[in-house]
Amino acid sequence: MTPGGVTGKVTRMGTPLASAPLDTWVTISRVTLEGEAAAWVAAVGLHDGEALVVLRRAALGGPLHVRTGSGGEFAIGREVADRIEVEPVAEEPA
Amino acid sequence: MSAACHDESAPKGSPSSARALVVLVGRPNSGKSSLYNLLTGGNAHVGNYPGITVDILEGEVDLPSGARATIADLPGLYSVEATVDHATDEGVARTFLEGLRARGESVTLLQVIDPTRLALGLRLTRELLRAGLPLVVALTHADVLAAEGRALDVDKLSGAIGAPVVLLSTRNPSGRATVLGAIDDRIRAGADADRGGGTFDPSAVARACTTDEGGEPEKARRARTARLDRLLLQPVLGPLLFVGLMALVFAAVFLVADPASSVTDGAVAWSRGRIEALLGGGLAASFLSDGILAGAGTVLAFMPQIVVLTVALELLEASGYLARGAFLVDRVLRFLGLSGRSFLPLLMGHACAVPAISSTRIIRDPKERLTTILVIPLMTCSARLPTYGLVLAAFFSHRSALFRASVFVGLYFAGVLSGLVASAVLRRTATKGKGLPLVLEMPSYRVPQPRVVARKAYGAGKRFLRDVGTTIVIASAVLWLLLKVPMPGVTPGATPIESSVAASIGRAMEPVTRPAGFDWRINVGLIGSFGARELMVGTMGVIFGLENADEDPAPLTERLRDTKKADGSPVYGTRTGLALLAFFVLACQCMSTVAAIRRETASLRWPALVLGYTYTLGYVAAVLVYQVAGLLGSS
Repeated sequence: MTPGGVTGKVTRMGTPLASAPLDTWVTISRVTLEGEAAAWVAAVGLHDGEALVVLRRAALGGPLHVRTGSGGEFAIGREVADRIEVEPVAEEPA
Repeated sequence: MSAACHDESAPKGSPSSARALVVLVGRPNSGKSSLYNLLTGGNAHVGNYPGITVDILEGEVDLPSGARATIADLPGLYSVEATVDHATDEGVARTFLEGLRARGESVTLLQVIDPTRLALGLRLTRELLRAGLPLVVALTHADVLAAEGRALDVDKLSGAIGAPVVLLSTRNPSGRATVLGAIDDRIRAGADADRGGGTFDPSAVARACTTDEGGEPEKARRARTARLDRLLLQPVLGPLLFVGLMALVFAAVFLVADPASSVTDGAVAWSRGRIEALLGGGLAASFLSDGILAGAGTVLAFMPQIVVLTVALELLEASGYLARGAFLVDRVLRFLGLSGRSFLPLLMGHACAVPAISSTRIIRDPKERLTTILVIPLMTCSARLPTYGLVLAAFFSHRSALFRASVFVGLYFAGVLSGLVASAVLRRTATKGKGLPLVLEMPSYRVPQPRVVARKAYGAGKRFLRDVGTTIVIASAVLWLLLKVPMPGVTPGATPIESSVAASIGRAMEPVTRPAGFDWRINVGLIGSFGARELMVGTMGVIFGLENADEDPAPLTERLRDTKKADGSPVYGTRTGLALLAFFVLACQCMSTVAAIRRETASLRWPALVLGYTYTLGYVAAVLVYQVAGLLGSS
C-alpha cells in the first residue's frame, strides 16, 4: 500500500509539482523557494525526499490538494507547486 | 480557530514559582485543545508571562506525587527553528519558549502529536529536543489509530526519539492519569533523564514504530474521506455547496438566536420597569434605565447570535470542513491580495470583528495578516443588524417581504464586496509587498467534541461581554448625560432634548451631513454609535422620547416616518434610509474593533487608517446614494 493509502500510477518523468499528474506518487527532488518561504514549506513537512501524490486541483488555477508520505494533507498554492520539483518514483513507496 | 481558544476574557494571574510549569505544544489540529481540556477540566485563567502580549491560557493540576503543576497552552506551531513573524500564533509560541530558555526557568514541554500523522509531529519533536528542553510526548487520537487498524509501539518510539511517550484518547477520561503520571515521572527524573536526541529521521522512525494490523478499517476510512472530498471539493459543485452551507449557517444563526434575543429583551424591559417602579421617574431611574440598562440590554440581545455563530463555526472547523472551504475560495481571495488563510477570520467577522481580528494570528504572512485585519471591519457583523432592521421596517414596510429580504442579503454581499475591493486596493498600496505562499494543512474529517465546542462558545460569550459590553455601557452612560444636560447659552427648544449638549452638537454637524440627508437626530445617533454601532437604535429611541425603543422598534419606525418639517413634508424619506444603510455598511463604528486593531498591530497608524478610510467611504457612499436616489425621483 502507498503511504497515504492511495493507489495510483507511477510517474516516469521529472516535472514541477504543479504539472504532476493526479493520483501518481512522486518524490520531492528540489525546492527552489528562498528564505522564509523555503523554511515555512520545510517546516510543514514538504522537503527533499518526501513522497507525495496530487489528489486534485482547485478550479481556475487554485491550489493543489496533496497527500504526503508522512500522512499529512495540504492545500498548496500553484506558485509554491511551481517551485517544488518532483521526480518519478521507481516504485510506489512502501 | 486557534486564536479563539485563547480566552482573553479570563483574569490575569501569575504562575507560581513553586509549581512545576508544563507547556503544551503541538502542530495545529494535533488535538492540543482537547488534551488541555482533559487535563484541566476546562478551568483556566490567563498567565502573566514577560514579553508575551498574547494571552496564554493556563490551568492548575495535581500530579500523582502530590505536587502541583501549571499547564500552559501555547498556540499551535509547526516549527521553532523556521523564521516566523513574531505577531502570529507560531511567533508567540516561539517567543514564549525562547523566553523560558533565556531565563533558565524550570519547565517541561508536553508535545501533542496526532499519531495518524506521526512523521509530521516528529519533525517538531526533533526541533524541541534540539532546543534542550525536557520533553514528554503525548500521542492523542489512540481511538482513531485503532479504528484505522493500526498499532503503535510506544516503547520503541520512546527509545528512538529519546523522550517518554504516552498514547491516549482524549475522549477517554483515563487518559488524564496517564499523561499526568508521565509528566510527574519526567519532572522527578530531572536533568538525568536527558538523553540528547534530535538527530533521528522522523519518517523512518514513524514507519518503524507503526504497524498496519489488517488495514481494512483504514482503507474504509480513507475511502469515506475520499468520497466526501470528491463531493465537497468538486470544482463546480464544491463551491456551490460551500456557499449554500454558509448561507444556511447564517440563516440558522438568526433563526436560533432570535427567540433567545427576544427573551433577553423581555428580561431587560422587565428590569427597566422594576427600576422605574422602585426609583420613580427621577434622574437616577432614568440614568439606570435609559442609560445603563438600555446599553447593557443592547449587548445582551446580541449574545445569543455570537454564541450560536461561534458554535456553528467551531463545528465546521473541528469537523475539518473549514480548511476545505479555504481551499475552495483561495483562488478568488488570491486575486484580491489575500489567500485561503484569510478565509476563517473574514468569516468570523460576520459575528464580531473583535475575535475575528484576534484570529488573524493563524495567518503566517505578515502582509496578508495586516490586510485581513484592515478589512475585517467591513464584514457585516451582527451589531449592524438592529439598524438594518430599523431602516428596512421604517422605509420599506410598504414593499414585499421578498424585497426586504433581498435588500438584507444585498447588504451582506455589499459588506463582503467592499472588503474584497478594499483588500485589493490595500495590497497594491499600504500593504504592498511580496507575500508568503499558501501551504495550508487539510485536517482529517473528525466528529467534534461537545466539551471543546462548549468551551469555545463560553469563551466567545465572555469575551464579547468584556470587550464590547463594557464599551457600550460606558458609551450609553455618556450619551444619556449629553442628552440630559442642556447646552449653555442655547435657547430651550420644544423639548429638553432639543436644547441638550448632544442636540447642539448634532445641529453643528448638519452642514456636513445634510448632503447625505442626515439631520441633527441622526447625527446624534451617529455620534452615539461611534463607539458601538448597535447604540444607534437605542439612541434614536431616546431622542424620539420613546421608552423601551430598543426592545420594540415598531413605534420608532412610525415616528421616523411621521416626523415632519415645518412645511409638513416628512423629515426622513426612503433615500435617507438608503443613505444611512450605505453609511452603516462601510463605517467602522466600533471602538472595540479599533482597540483590537491597535492591540494586534501594536501601532496607532493602522487603526487610524481604518477609521479614516471607512468613515470617508461611508460618508461618500451615503452622499452618493442620497443624491442619486433624489435624481431618480425617490422621496
